[in-house]
Amino acid sequence: MPAAMASDSIPIETAHEDMIHDAQLDYYGKRLATCSSDRTVKVFDVVDGEQKPGSGHTLKGHAGPVWQVAWAHPKYGHILASCSYDGKVLIWKEEHQQGQARSAGVWTKVKEHNLHSASVNSVCWAPHELGAIVACASSDGKLSVLTFKNDGTWGADIFNGHAIGCNAVSWAPATIPGSLITPHQTSLPGQPAQSPAAVKRFASAGCDNLVRIWGFNEETQAWVEEETLEGHADWVRDVAWAPNIGLPRSYIATASQDKTVLIWTKDSPTSPWVKTALDPSSSAAATVTPGAPPAPAGRFPDVVWRVSWSLAGNILAVSCGDGKVTLWKENLKGVWECVNEMSS
Amino acid sequence: MSTCVSLIPPLFEESCLEDYLKSGRTVSFTLRPTANELALFATPLDADFRTGQPTSQNYPKEQDVYVTCWDEVPTSERRLFITDTSIIFAAFRALVDHVKTNEPELMRAMEYMTAFRKLAGDYITHIQECWVHASQTISRPQEDTRFTGEHYRSMYTSLSIFQTLYLPEEGIDDVPVGDELLEWLNTHFIEPSTEEGDQLSALEKPWEDETFWQYLIRVTLRGLTKSSIFFLQALSQHPSEHLQMISEKLVSILEKHPRQKNYATEKEFFTASRRWKDRAKALRLELDRVPDDDRQDEFENWWDNISDLLGIIEGRAEVLQRVCVELGGDWKEIICTWGVWIDVGLRRAELPDIAGRVMYDVPSDPSSKEDSLHADLFLGRPLQALSVAHDIDVWLAAHLADIMIPLGLLDSETDDESKLTIRDQYVIAYADYLQSDPGLWRHTVDYLCSCGPVGHQMADEILLRVPLRLEESAGKHDAETSDGDLAEVVKDINNTCFEYQREPVRRMICKVAAQKLVMMKKYGLAISYCLSAEDWPGLGRIVDRVLNEYIAHGPSRFTSLVADIAPSLQELQVEPGPHGVFVQRLKFAVRYAEFHHRSRSGAVDYAALDLISMFEEDLAPKSWWGVLLNDSTPFLQNESTLYFSAADASLLLRRLEEVKIQTDHGYGDDYLGVLARTMNLTGAKEALKRLDVLRICLARYFARCILKGKSRIV
Repeated sequence: MPAAMASDSIPIETAHEDMIHDAQLDYYGKRLATCSSDRTVKVFDVVDGEQKPGSGHTLKGHAGPVWQVAWAHPKYGHILASCSYDGKVLIWKEEHQQGQARSAGVWTKVKEHNLHSASVNSVCWAPHELGAIVACASSDGKLSVLTFKNDGTWGADIFNGHAIGCNAVSWAPATIPGSLITPHQTSLPGQPAQSPAAVKRFASAGCDNLVRIWGFNEETQAWVEEETLEGHADWVRDVAWAPNIGLPRSYIATASQDKTVLIWTKDSPTSPWVKTALDPSSSAAATVTPGAPPAPAGRFPDVVWRVSWSLAGNILAVSCGDGKVTLWKENLKGVWECVNEMSS
Repeated sequence: MSTCVSLIPPLFEESCLEDYLKSGRTVSFTLRPTANELALFATPLDADFRTGQPTSQNYPKEQDVYVTCWDEVPTSERRLFITDTSIIFAAFRALVDHVKTNEPELMRAMEYMTAFRKLAGDYITHIQECWVHASQTISRPQEDTRFTGEHYRSMYTSLSIFQTLYLPEEGIDDVPVGDELLEWLNTHFIEPSTEEGDQLSALEKPWEDETFWQYLIRVTLRGLTKSSIFFLQALSQHPSEHLQMISEKLVSILEKHPRQKNYATEKEFFTASRRWKDRAKALRLELDRVPDDDRQDEFENWWDNISDLLGIIEGRAEVLQRVCVELGGDWKEIICTWGVWIDVGLRRAELPDIAGRVMYDVPSDPSSKEDSLHADLFLGRPLQALSVAHDIDVWLAAHLADIMIPLGLLDSETDDESKLTIRDQYVIAYADYLQSDPGLWRHTVDYLCSCGPVGHQMADEILLRVPLRLEESAGKHDAETSDGDLAEVVKDINNTCFEYQREPVRRMICKVAAQKLVMMKKYGLAISYCLSAEDWPGLGRIVDRVLNEYIAHGPSRFTSLVADIAPSLQELQVEPGPHGVFVQRLKFAVRYAEFHHRSRSGAVDYAALDLISMFEEDLAPKSWWGVLLNDSTPFLQNESTLYFSAADASLLLRRLEEVKIQTDHGYGDDYLGVLARTMNLTGAKEALKRLDVLRICLARYFARCILKGKSRIV
């Protein structure tokens, strides 16, 4: 019997003139960036779940609906990436005026990436250990990776990803799972920091029903397709690589038009990816709309739209076309259970 | 168990869900990294939505984002409970770690078991306080709906019985446990009520009341001897002479009921108990001799009730079990009175067996989590107990599991897949809950850092995301706040990192703090954080930013900014390291600012020394040579004083020559770029022309030096 809870909060009025496509909270959860069909990106300060008065900024620069926004790691400053139907990826940076540290800064466009020939549907910053790098997925079937260099210039790699179109990208954690558990000398002040070898790798989701894993070959300086994950029967809408919290396993979650969410696990760098479907029929997520037929086991009632991992990677949030967001957790027996359901 | 969270105000009314979905919309979200929160918003789902066409004609104008928490954020009372008990947790951890490191073989020695019991007792005291407090505030509607008085009461009873069963007094496990169990029962499940006793005692002929016999049997069963004796004595007024006689004898028996605490040795206690039971058996013979026609008064069959009472005293298990059930008691009442009436030698080790047998006939209540937890604890099933405790309150499971480890109740090996122990999994679940309030980050980190490498990794993520609040504090007291106060949070995080040896995390936080401070133009503090992070390239970038201030705004702002960063240089010179190039750049900035300061304050001769020294010591980056050479012109032009020696002037000439040659080779920007920017010139060639003046000045200067006939005039 699910327990009921009500969340009473004042919504943030974005004043977007059209539907919102994406919203992202920054690294500290204090700033909210939204993007919309109205071709703008907006940034708000959020205090206790509510908008800080007078904190809104509107970032104009796209010539079409803006699909996604992504915050860079704070060590690079306040930097946002946005991607749009106009085929562009824009990088925005906030700067403060002299003596106005506390006041709202000024957002300026610092880079325009226009190598794609169709809508760019997804942007994702790489783990900060790898540098300031953005991966992009486009309807032109290509993936691109932008790399910010120390001299202030950008480099771009672009390559074929998924026929028909690429829907989403998600970076692997910078360190190989399990490597952080291996005992190593703790860095002490005065000694150089020791960090395990970083890995440049990301997953992409496409309209070819596939998920592909890409790795950067340092020798050839090129992106190489390492693995293909087959399991969905329709477009893969979203992909999310779980953060590495020292667990020996790698986890990837994928959401598809085929109404399933698959969890892909890989026990070691050499073992294969094994897939498990989330089963909403065994949980609160099975509470369907009155009158609607119940979804078969392992399937959600509608298209699954988005998947996202919590900070430590132990909770997976899923949004479905049935108007509900569900939270999933792997229990002590290794079974995925729905632990929360958010509905209007 | 899953929880449904509903938004108020709703994104759409529940009854309108179908229309909402038909319009092609669904709900999307983003997770908040620092709390158990997500932001929800309506978004178009339509598969062909990527047409790029505006959608506004179909949808309402409001585009709102809801930020909501999937755990209830702790109320102030709950926070207090969390904070207070975290201190006990830390003490418990410290003790366990100490023993593990120094005397692992003595983990379950009397001394440490006593200490564990004491700490468990501290937890119990806090829960008891919460129970009392929450019971008093039950009528406040805004308060937490989950953590009611009843909730804390169930935690109180559960942790208390855990302490009774697994943390014996003085750490001695192998002793009769009957009295302790009865005490727990009488403390937490009071029966019969005081009101009933008061009511009956007010009656002249209490046996005429329908509750009399039940009351008398239950007070006897519960070991409440004074009440038993009081009402047995009241029976001296009963019309039946047989009952008068038997009750009198029962009083005499109960008055001499041997209790463990009154005996020095177990042997004496057992002997006394055996003899005492013989007296009860003797009374049974007399009871049996009561004629059938005198066994009932006008109200009740007193003989049956006295027989039950005597049966319990005689130690008849079947009587005790039947009577308990008839009185409305449960399995707990049977087991907790077992060691007083049936088997006075009952040991803790025997409890799972007895409990299993009792529960076979009188099962626990599956609808009550509290009862299920008690049952698992009696049955010696710690894993099942933790699972139920987790459903009651993640706090309870985490802290129970933490205590279970040193007691050897849980496997301390890590699970192959999760790399976590059972204990760690429950403690991490509690830490997850704590994240619903980002203000509790210190506690979240404390708990996570007790969970091995995986917990430490999780703690790192929490630490990295604690807002540094630099902007806020800067704005609040711009004028009066010292830089030290500004970074209070950063210091706090740094200390936590030191405590748990999270050095890479500490460095990253210092780097981010430095980056933020640079944005705020607090260069001095930014540099000290760079040094703390040992981020030498970062230090270089800050110095470049400061030098850029000179280019953009001239010497006045530059000198005041450098005054801020100069103290860092002294710190660096004391600690040599592999960061030469960046320290050189900082030295240059400081020396150059000093030069300007001296020039402006009239110490012109010292300023000249500074200028020359920057060339002599190779402090000046090549890109600044043009600027320095240009700065030297006024000194050379001074008609009254020769500020440089001939050798100094030669050095200036050599540098000027190099600049000219490199410019001729097309590398002018490397030497004159900064000068061109400071003077708003179009490029290196124009800048070089400006230096033509210097060439003439130098020629004249050499001539003056020869005329004066000495190498240096001050």
